[in-house]
Amino acid sequence: MIKTEKHLRVRNYRGQTVRVVREHYLREDVPCNSELCLAGCPSDGSRTLLPMATHYIVPDCQVTRDYLEILELPEITGILFLQTVLHSVLHHGNRRSYNNIRKMVKDPRQQCTIFANEYCHYAYCERQPGELLKEWQLRSVYEAAVWYYNHLAGQVSIVMITEDQEFIAKFAAKTRQVFLLTMQEYLKTFWPTLSNALDIYESLSASLSESTVEKDTTKGYKEYLPQEILSAGIKSGRYIQGCVHVNKHRPQREAFVQRAGGGMKESGTDSDIIISGMLARNRAVDGDIVAVELLPKSQWVGKIISLTETHEGIENTEAMIDSSNVMPTGRVIGILQRNWRDYVASFSADKENKGNTSKAGKVLVIPWDYRIPKIRISTRQSDSLGDHRVIVRIDSWPVDSQYPNGHFVQTLGSIGKLETEISSILVENSISIRSFSEGQIKELPSNSSDDPWTIDPEEVARRQDLRDSHLIFSIDPKGCEDVDDTLSVRQLPNGNIELGVHIADVSYFVKPNSLTDLEAKSRATTVYLADRRYDMLPPILSADLCSLIGGEDRYAMSVLWQLSPNYDVIDVWYGRTVIRSAYKMFYEAAQALHDGKDVRDDIPELEGLDEEVIQERLRELNFSISTLMSIARHLKSKRESGGAVQLEGLEIQVQLSDKKDIQDLVPKQALEIHETIAECMIFANHWVAKKITEAFPSFALLRHHPLPRQEHFENLLYCAKSKGFSVDTSTNKNLADSLDRCVDEKNPIFNKLLRTLATYAMSNALYFSTGSLSRDQFYHYGLALDRYTHFTSPIRRYADIIVHRLLMAAIKEDEENLLLGNKELQDLCDHINHKNRAAQHAQRASQELFQALYFKDRDPNTDESCVVDAVIFGLRTNGVLVFIPRYRVILNTEFTLHVVIFKSTLTKSDYSCTVTTATSSTTFHLFDHITARISVAASHAHTSMTRFDLVASVPYCSNHKEENATQRLHEKTDIVQEVTRDVKQEVAISTEINDELGSDFNELKSKYGQTKDHCSIYSLLQQFKEMGLEEES
Amino acid sequence: MAGIELLSDQGFRADGRRPHELRKIRCRMGVFRQADGSAYIEQGNTKVLATVYGPHEITGGRSKALHDKVLLNCQYSMATFSTGERKTRPKGDRRSQEMSMNLRRTFQAAILTHLYPRSQIDIYVQVLQSDGGNYCACVNAATLAVIDAGIPMRDYVCACTSSLLEDTPVVDISYLEESVGSPEMVVALLPKSEQIVLFQQNSRLHVDNLEKVLDMGIKGCTDVYGILDQSVREHVTEVSNLMMST
Repeated sequence: MIKTEKHLRVRNYRGQTVRVVREHYLREDVPCNSELCLAGCPSDGSRTLLPMATHYIVPDCQVTRDYLEILELPEITGILFLQTVLHSVLHHGNRRSYNNIRKMVKDPRQQCTIFANEYCHYAYCERQPGELLKEWQLRSVYEAAVWYYNHLAGQVSIVMITEDQEFIAKFAAKTRQVFLLTMQEYLKTFWPTLSNALDIYESLSASLSESTVEKDTTKGYKEYLPQEILSAGIKSGRYIQGCVHVNKHRPQREAFVQRAGGGMKESGTDSDIIISGMLARNRAVDGDIVAVELLPKSQWVGKIISLTETHEGIENTEAMIDSSNVMPTGRVIGILQRNWRDYVASFSADKENKGNTSKAGKVLVIPWDYRIPKIRISTRQSDSLGDHRVIVRIDSWPVDSQYPNGHFVQTLGSIGKLETEISSILVENSISIRSFSEGQIKELPSNSSDDPWTIDPEEVARRQDLRDSHLIFSIDPKGCEDVDDTLSVRQLPNGNIELGVHIADVSYFVKPNSLTDLEAKSRATTVYLADRRYDMLPPILSADLCSLIGGEDRYAMSVLWQLSPNYDVIDVWYGRTVIRSAYKMFYEAAQALHDGKDVRDDIPELEGLDEEVIQERLRELNFSISTLMSIARHLKSKRESGGAVQLEGLEIQVQLSDKKDIQDLVPKQALEIHETIAECMIFANHWVAKKITEAFPSFALLRHHPLPRQEHFENLLYCAKSKGFSVDTSTNKNLADSLDRCVDEKNPIFNKLLRTLATYAMSNALYFSTGSLSRDQFYHYGLALDRYTHFTSPIRRYADIIVHRLLMAAIKEDEENLLLGNKELQDLCDHINHKNRAAQHAQRASQELFQALYFKDRDPNTDESCVVDAVIFGLRTNGVLVFIPRYRVILNTEFTLHVVIFKSTLTKSDYSCTVTTATSSTTFHLFDHITARISVAASHAHTSMTRFDLVASVPYCSNHKEENATQRLHEKTDIVQEVTRDVKQEVAISTEINDELGSDFNELKSKYGQTKDHCSIYSLLQQFKEMGLEEES
Repeated sequence: MAGIELLSDQGFRADGRRPHELRKIRCRMGVFRQADGSAYIEQGNTKVLATVYGPHEITGGRSKALHDKVLLNCQYSMATFSTGERKTRPKGDRRSQEMSMNLRRTFQAAILTHLYPRSQIDIYVQVLQSDGGNYCACVNAATLAVIDAGIPMRDYVCACTSSLLEDTPVVDISYLEESVGSPEMVVALLPKSEQIVLFQQNSRLHVDNLEKVLDMGIKGCTDVYGILDQSVREHVTEVSNLMMST
């Protein structure tokens, strides 16, 4: 090693320049990370360039900073990032692109690597006195490229990409086979067919050239404060750090900053901070991490509490502000981290507008997400893409510009097509789905009829063989393909009972860092959309080899408990097993069997057997199921008595919205068998969590459910109070108990609504690594367990695969060195949590999309399915929030807040509001039933929204007596928006509705009443999809 | 502290070393004639001068004399030009006093103190340039100076820092690595018996990581020992050659 010194001038915290001398060691053993290396460089594992590349690309600093997106394209491989380049990316403040490069290098598919040229004795060149930083960087990159070429003995040519024409002219001819090209030349020469890359290049370079033009007009935004001042201010408490959340319904006016660092410690003082207006928001975009300065108390404002309609960004001018209840108000003074992603946007439908702007090459596009401001992009394709949805990225938001600058990336297709809308949803949630690569499929065993996959006898010898000793069966939703959990229960000779949960052994097939593993890690979860799903694992695994299908030998990971006759755990065993599931049942059949009904038609495995055998088998099965049920009952009551709480109703609501757990899919009035299975899975998860935390106290993957913030319960308390109930939210047990008491006989929906509101107050359950939280934060609030993890669905969730590996290491079956450390695991957890949230959002969005499609076809004035009963659960100064009981089956994920809007004046008192018009006045109370009509508000730039209008202030299921009331109410049609029909027509229709109610109701019930699981919702939504397609054609 | 990557994915530290590598050490013994023993050491950019006087009579009052062992007087100071910004107080501040005390304790454990009752040994160390690991450089320099003075010791005393960057233990941390607030561990070791004579920990370190960081520190100390020992041998041969020739 040779020691040299680097002399730097660094600005210190007081703003003075200080001369700093740092050591810099040059060494000979810097690995070149190429497989072509002849010199025998020590390689560090997977990070190598592939030899089949025809050339290696060496981008310089400027190119990497500006055109990283092009380099990120999967087609372009064999990129050599130099350390000089990496440092320059890092030092110019763009940590995100730096992280992107690191991610690229870690991903073996991208085939790129980092070469630490500055530490390499031969490739390093010292900065000459007086040499500009930029010149030195260019020279370093060039020297390194030349060295690399010589190091590989000229086996591949090197292309250095730079935009510096002078440098190209000076150095181009110096070394043969080391080519100097600009990005454009490079793309044209090497990738003439990759039009995508050229498109991105053009829009990027256009937005770059434009940003150099300075404009003087100030739009009132203030410059951000420098980073040092911000971080000092945050430390001292003068400024507050937090994440910006823009109010979806009022994107121009209102945004909130959620304080960083979690709020449970001092919940009194850290409510969210309001940022009122675009100027105070100062160019922050939804999701950014910002620093906020609080305004003086006299300028504090309250939340906007009136309802408005936002269509294409037009807002009502008058918005009522809750002035009595002010909240901390602040303004953004600096951005700590931008969280810009890809945005789906469309061009303005306004033709005039378009004509004006396209001359200058700049167009304003309207993002799909209401919360994002319009983006100015440069493109010449605005005419051809007029009715397309496109992906854009934001590049910058200069202080003198009203809108951010961005560039066009890709088109998704024309607006209104189902495929376009679905891919919009995916892009908006940052879910990118590629098909499984060939290399990945090759890694996996195949199973076809002429080459069937069989279990390996050697592997069987290593495992516990449960094929003959245990009666194993699975109970799943009907039509389920990926069976990842099976159960067994048997009486032991000593009187004890053995309960077994057997989970598909995915980690046997998916080895750490294999291509399948990497792909599954990046997907993190199977994404269920309304009409399709994107699997985490290739179908050969998820539907075949890992799936515990009836009658097939399969590898499994088992947890076996020995329970005393009182169901206390005496012993527990974890391990790998071989099983053969005897029956693959569905919930309804299992329940029917337990209830003593004849179910032999529902169990295909029994076909063609003797009557006696069938009887015998059924008796066996019935015994197992009955035992299971009583165990589950016991487990549940034990959870409750141990301070644990039955938050079932709530828990389901919470979990339903993320739809990942079998147990979580069970609606409240489920069959008992649902609960039984759920309870067994919770039991297994809990015990596995125990085991892995014991074995790895600092890096086990668990799942916790943080305590809800008390301020979120306000709405619930208010609603309960209106009916004279009080709800105690201090602990989960008190909450559940007091919720149980809140029952209104006349209004059964009341309790359900309260539970829904309680659910809204809950935080989301999250994965975490045990090393990063203190022990008392491991608690799972909803399930009331001290430790919980996910173990039972490895086919659908990546977290479970990690837990499987941890468990295997804990019982010393696998070597430990493949496990992740705490920091890596926490990063992975964050990634999985993020992906799960994205998957939920995408799922909800897709369901809303289909909901809209469903109502789009129907004329709200004639179709009776558009007129529904609704319950008021929230009051605003110019409207009410209602809940539609009938469609919640479709909306399964959540009870969407629906908005009814009045035109006339309205006075609001504590628990009611009165609508006054010229002719009459009506009063609405909380939890009143009203009739509402559903219509679809089509939108060009955004998704179509379902809208709800008030039809009558009486319950919809009214009989003839009340029809008169309806009739009377027709006088009020002027207060109702869009009610244009005349009175007679309305009367006729409402009679018709009442007549048809009976048959309609039954039909609906038969259609929706039993749809307890997602599979049948799929089939239902499949119909919607077809409808959507028909409409298109 | 944005912008500086302390340990890259390729396993290089900010100055191009790997985690287990020491900075370059250069040392010389016998740099001054006037003192009984003296030494100069460079560990990377940290440069330290050490001088030893004694054993001699107690200075400044006999009452301080110890009847069974030697009185050890240590003084640590930093030159005003040793840091990026000029220091106003070269010695006697709190930090220097603490360092002096640590130094005394370290050498009390290493020097065979019972051989010189009622006498005194002075060890003066001065940091000429500071770039992380000052204390360790001082200990190493003082060891050489004590050897140069011919005072019998149980063993060399070798000191080295270690730390934990991104879950990887690193040895001999520089000022840059020190200043980002990583947990700094100072170990002074008697290499032959592997006895730890000084152990100091600045800022928090999880107990799970303690062992591997300590192992790294101990390994650093033994590496330092190799270098010091070699230089002592070279110095001795040089001196003996000189004496032979005269």
